[in-house]
Amino acid sequence: MAAPPRLWRHGFRAMASAHEIVLASDSETHARSVAEAAIAEVARIEAKYSRFRDSSLVSAINRAAGGAPIRIDAETAALLDYADACHRESRGRFDITSGVLRRAWDFRREPPRVASQREIDALLPLVGWNGVERDAHAIRLPRAGMEIDLGGIGKEYAADRAAALAIDGGIAQGLVNLAGDVRVWGGLPDGRPWRVGIRHPRTEGATIAGIELADGAVATSGDYERCIVVDGRRYCHVLDATTGWPVDGWQSMSVVAPLCVVAGSGATVGMLLGEEAPRWLASEGFRWLGVDVQGVVRET
Amino acid sequence: MAAALALPGVVPGAAAQSIPDEGIFSVRYLDYRDWQPGADRMTVRSPALFVQKPFAATWLFEGSLVYDGMSGASPRYFNTLSGASGEGVKDYRTAGDARITRYHDRYAIGVGGAVSSERDFLSRAGSLDVRWWTEDRNTTLAFGFAGTADRINSNNGVADNETRYTLDWLVGVTQSVNPDAIVQSNLTFSRGHGYYDDPYKPLDTRPDYRRIVAWLTRWNQSFPSADATMRLAFRVLHDSFGTTSWMTEAQWVQSLPQGWTVQPGLRYYTQSEADFYRNPPFPTGYVPGENYSADTRLAAFGAFTASLRVAKAFADGWTGDLRIDFYRQKSSWRFGGDGSPGIDTFSARWIQAGISKAF
Repeated sequence: MAAPPRLWRHGFRAMASAHEIVLASDSETHARSVAEAAIAEVARIEAKYSRFRDSSLVSAINRAAGGAPIRIDAETAALLDYADACHRESRGRFDITSGVLRRAWDFRREPPRVASQREIDALLPLVGWNGVERDAHAIRLPRAGMEIDLGGIGKEYAADRAAALAIDGGIAQGLVNLAGDVRVWGGLPDGRPWRVGIRHPRTEGATIAGIELADGAVATSGDYERCIVVDGRRYCHVLDATTGWPVDGWQSMSVVAPLCVVAGSGATVGMLLGEEAPRWLASEGFRWLGVDVQGVVRET
Repeated sequence: MAAALALPGVVPGAAAQSIPDEGIFSVRYLDYRDWQPGADRMTVRSPALFVQKPFAATWLFEGSLVYDGMSGASPRYFNTLSGASGEGVKDYRTAGDARITRYHDRYAIGVGGAVSSERDFLSRAGSLDVRWWTEDRNTTLAFGFAGTADRINSNNGVADNETRYTLDWLVGVTQSVNPDAIVQSNLTFSRGHGYYDDPYKPLDTRPDYRRIVAWLTRWNQSFPSADATMRLAFRVLHDSFGTTSWMTEAQWVQSLPQGWTVQPGLRYYTQSEADFYRNPPFPTGYVPGENYSADTRLAAFGAFTASLRVAKAFADGWTGDLRIDFYRQKSSWRFGGDGSPGIDTFSARWIQAGISKAF
């Protein structure tokens, strides 16, 4: 019997974070060439959709806010359709126009400061996916100062695209992890499922649970990466677009789905829905694992 | 945990009968990595300082300081990690210890203290040791006592200001067998009570006390004609968690011309699993209210460590050395029985470089 293929790990950085691609192959050269193609695809998606890059399509759309429509291609239209579905499912709490709230919520500021209701009220008129004019070929943000931001979708989509390219490249078993958003396929070469550890929301370096799966995706949203603590209260970067305030129902929410983009948005919507999350996640048929505010693991 | 590579020694070590006549200052740098098939890696980089200084004719001061910077995860069980976006894992540990020994004609008394601090863990220890030797200096008896207080504050709220207290006793004898051989045998007892659970492992519940008895014997044999020394060590340890471990080690220290020393070594370690350890997949065998752990460090396995140290002594008391250790752990390498099933091979390597100066 032939030996199972070896796993080749390729670490790389993009989108200001660390990622890895693990590919099963008999040949290191093959694994490397496939990994390079997958990494190039991640870089392409970053260049196209990063709000931090002046040359990106997202930056062009944001610069044109209040002005003329911007032409979009089919890939972008599909992502926006998906963002629209998330907006509906979350009853407006997940909103790709909510990024302007960062002008009030600076989670890197020293010393940390809680936004005032007045600052938030001044920004809320710029938040509103329902007001965005779009069709399959163009998008226009109606008011100057509005912004879109594909956080919660773009990186997860990149993980799915990288996995798709690797599968097309002949890799039957592999794993793509973009800063904690994980897509796996084919199981481990020895036949066991992949084991995805869930990061502990309060202790760096620790895991709080594990999820086994052969094919699919696990994505996690949490209150721990960009957050401030003021007067003993934690304010995290997951903002409810309907109120402008951080949510506080979960320390961490992980969702399992066939695609990473679905798992990622499912995790974010789960965070946003707070107490209603278990019911919504069940109705969507998601397998999930959350850490509640007491630090207790709850799961399907 | 790899981070706890070495808590500064609180149990007295070798049985020097006379005060060293030189001070030593050394700087060391450790680079540690571990890995499993297809798994993410953890890296530890530790600069360390060590000072030994005799003073006022009969006193000796020894102190050390170490900083561990860690990055990457050490999942052991997982292939990858899912988490909110971030910069990856970073953590640290700082630790220091100091000891003062007063030498007399036929005995020496030492007192020491040690502190180790991590984000969620604080350990403080104090120790006292007495060594007494016969007039012909062929036999030394050692008695040691150490107390350790640990405070555990996991940020997930599971361990909230938990404590653990440990007392250690040591009795040992060192005997010159002949001019070229020395044998040392130490018996240590440890009694601890308090918090032993791993707060970051779901369902992990361990007894609130631990008793350890360990017996360590070393044999150092020098071969003057070959300008070499052979060091053998053997240790057996049993604890109240139900684990019994055996360690045996051999090193050959070969002096070479022009101040070079080459020191290859091989160590074998094997342990049985703790009474309450349960094999993967998690959480098989969990009964609410009973002790339970899926921590692979409590599993049954065997492990080999191969090491090589190369040192070079220069003029004016300078010494430089480089040491590489390679560690591999497998269930199937357990001695005298099957290892715990379902655990991946775990590998690690250490590279240590150091320079020291006698003064």
